Amino acid sequence: MRILSWAYLAAIFVFIFLPVVVLVLFSFQDSRLPIPPFDGPTLKWYATVLADRNMMEALANSLLVALISAAIALLLGFFAAQGLSRVKLPGSVLMRGVLIAPMTVSYLIIALGLLTVFNNLGFRPSLWTTGIGHVVINVPLCFAILFAAMGDHQKNAERAARDLGASELQVVFLVSAPMLKPALLAAYFLAVTFSWDEFIIAFLLTRFDVTLPVEIWSMLRSGLSPATNAIGSLVFLVSIAILIILELTVFRKSKS
Amino acid sequence: MTADVSLQSIDQYFGDFQALENINLHFDAGEFVVLLGPSGCGKSTLLFILGGFLAPTSGQVLIGGEDMSRVAPKDRPTTTMFQDYALFPHMSLRDNVGFGLRMRGQSRKARHDRADEMLDLVGLLDKANHKPHELSGGQRQRVALARALAVDPEVLLLDEPLGALDLKLRRQMQEELKAIQRKVGTTFVHVTHDQEEAMAIADRIVVMNHGKVEDAGPPEDVYLRPKTLFAANFMGDLNRLSAAQPARVGDYIECVRPENIGPAGEVALGDAILENAAFFGTYHRCHFQVLDEVKTSYVAHLPIGELPQVGDTVSLFASNVVTLEVTE
Amino acid sequence: MTIEHQERRRAFGFVTPALIWTCAFFLVPFAVMVLLSLAHLEGREIIQTYDLDNYVKIFTEPSLFKGIVVSLEITLIVTVISILLAWPLAWIIATQVPQRYQRLAIMLAVLPFWTSYVVRSYAWALVLGQNGVVMQALIGIGILDEPIQIMATRAATIIGFVHFFVMLLTLTIYSNLIQLSPNYARAAADLGASGWNTLRLVILPLTLPGIMTGAFLTFVLCIGDYITPQILGGNNELTMPQLIMLQLGRRGDFPMASALSVILMMLVTLAYAATARWLKMERV
Repeated sequence: MRILSWAYLAAIFVFIFLPVVVLVLFSFQDSRLPIPPFDGPTLKWYATVLADRNMMEALANSLLVALISAAIALLLGFFAAQGLSRVKLPGSVLMRGVLIAPMTVSYLIIALGLLTVFNNLGFRPSLWTTGIGHVVINVPLCFAILFAAMGDHQKNAERAARDLGASELQVVFLVSAPMLKPALLAAYFLAVTFSWDEFIIAFLLTRFDVTLPVEIWSMLRSGLSPATNAIGSLVFLVSIAILIILELTVFRKSKS
Repeated sequence: MTADVSLQSIDQYFGDFQALENINLHFDAGEFVVLLGPSGCGKSTLLFILGGFLAPTSGQVLIGGEDMSRVAPKDRPTTTMFQDYALFPHMSLRDNVGFGLRMRGQSRKARHDRADEMLDLVGLLDKANHKPHELSGGQRQRVALARALAVDPEVLLLDEPLGALDLKLRRQMQEELKAIQRKVGTTFVHVTHDQEEAMAIADRIVVMNHGKVEDAGPPEDVYLRPKTLFAANFMGDLNRLSAAQPARVGDYIECVRPENIGPAGEVALGDAILENAAFFGTYHRCHFQVLDEVKTSYVAHLPIGELPQVGDTVSLFASNVVTLEVTE
Repeated sequence: MTIEHQERRRAFGFVTPALIWTCAFFLVPFAVMVLLSLAHLEGREIIQTYDLDNYVKIFTEPSLFKGIVVSLEITLIVTVISILLAWPLAWIIATQVPQRYQRLAIMLAVLPFWTSYVVRSYAWALVLGQNGVVMQALIGIGILDEPIQIMATRAATIIGFVHFFVMLLTLTIYSNLIQLSPNYARAAADLGASGWNTLRLVILPLTLPGIMTGAFLTFVLCIGDYITPQILGGNNELTMPQLIMLQLGRRGDFPMASALSVILMMLVTLAYAATARWLKMERV
């Protein structure tokens, strides 16, 4: 059983890591096609993408949209969870359903709906419209994470704070938010990642200022290139770095 | 600070369910009051009404003579010590205890001094910079007490604060609570379902059942001269005298506590055989069967060293017999 | 006004902004889309009518109807394969890997999540291509004489999807497994069950919530995804999202795209109904 387990583990890890390894390895390819045999290493493709003005603009756009839309989604989700976890409201099941609903719908449908409405209203596709779409998909995520994190424990502490004379805002900023810090950070980080990586909404709702996934997509049209590997590897590296920093600082601490 | 508390004709409904029915009580300033009853009897509901977390469906709450029935918790001269303590996990003990004063706009210096004073009162001054998760259950309980008392409330409400502690620690905390209450003089209203705890700490016990007050008074009165059969049963074991037939609602029956049965007393119960006995440390718990037609049996607590042989026949007597109406 | 009323009013105040946002930018657009699916495209004009012509067309025109069939087939195959691969992985990590390395193992198992979705499909295109690593390796070992076509077939789409959803399902099943008390297995063994029977009759049924939550998510994400079939599957057989994008791109046929979207939505609702009793969406 042991040996069988480890063999299975090894095999499936090969499957899981295969594309990532190939992606990173051939970003160091010297020739113009990212296929075997490997003839690197070189960093020239990294230099190419870092010097690519369109690519860097798209990266900046993505970052902007991700940071801002995730912040709005976090705020909306946090307040909604705060409201719904506190008292039983008439229709709270329905409200919860409405807030969670976008999570169960394909992004393509959300994008198409927004595109239709924005067309009718005469809104031009832009980073703003993309941002609005990203808030829509991230509110359920933030709400669900924070709602699950607000137990009786949280409610009792808030009640105790109110009993000791805290106003509503003081309760939120001095008790609720600090107590939920790990969940808030996790929700924000996930929301940033989702927005940062989102393709179809950004594809349909931007025109001239595009985000990074859309820019990469148009790069794919011109065929295979180690430059695509390079930008893909860079994005991966940054995500992993943030993940490790979060794991080592926030989540390790909060566990003790 | 301290104040008296009056509850006047309090009714509380949750939908169709009546949680409290016509509650009228008065607590003197500085009293240690215990609300006692089985779970679901309405004692916690009553405490929440006192604290302002619930508004009564009808009736009035007067604290220090002022009507507080519709006043928010933070504007009342009450603080609550919650069942799970509800300490703020991200704040040090000093910040936890100083929280109420911070909300009242006191300077950092003033509230730290007061917090340290209160932590000293509960014996945790050396841990002022620790976080709640570094403490044991009993220590958390003390911090919660210090935090609730730091704002100098007129009335302190305690919602089963000792429920999570083990038996030995609970007995110890009872004594500490009582000592601290004597020291600060605040009116304490304490909820529990443990009648021994109630007798150990209360100046006045209020026994509740099904949303009604069954009995209220000093522990000796409630124990020795209970007003209702429910209160008598809830406070401890009870024997029914001459139980020839099953009691029906409306009957009056005579009752006596096990420790009031023995070889001497005011009322003769007749000759009885000792069927079995168990040693309980401070007394022997004995089952007797009377040699009459119906074979009435009694439970008696006999002092150590006064135990007859099992199978012996003894003449039994009872004292402090009370007569109570059967209500259910 | 009573205290409860104040509390409620405050709570409503907290929920309202999120509700308004979701209504304005999700429910309303969706409703508009449903209306639009009843309209017609004439020339380049959209005429708002109220008939089911688009739907009739989807079910009668083979090129459109095939999209539904292809999407369902791919999604079901992907879901089943992903569960079969992910369950043993989650079980091994939860029971065979020492406790202190479990968090590391699970983080490693989902590490490729953190590559961009578009880039991940591209990477599979590299791996599976005629001159890719897999073909070269298979020829090198001598299993194949010459490369076979995987790219631009359904197989490539399925491999790309399975890669992603194995990670997702491993997460949901693992978190289900570690919540189970070890006493279940002990009790089963105590009552005489073999290791295999314990797994089959006790542990597996207890992980149904994790499996079903993952399966539902897989269904939703897989059937609605445009990127993977477009990059890996090519244009030989089109899935519903590819058809929707085609309607938008080629002719600007919003009504037909909307009708296809509504059908896609209905399929998801059916999948939800089928798995609902195991799902706890708040916990996802």
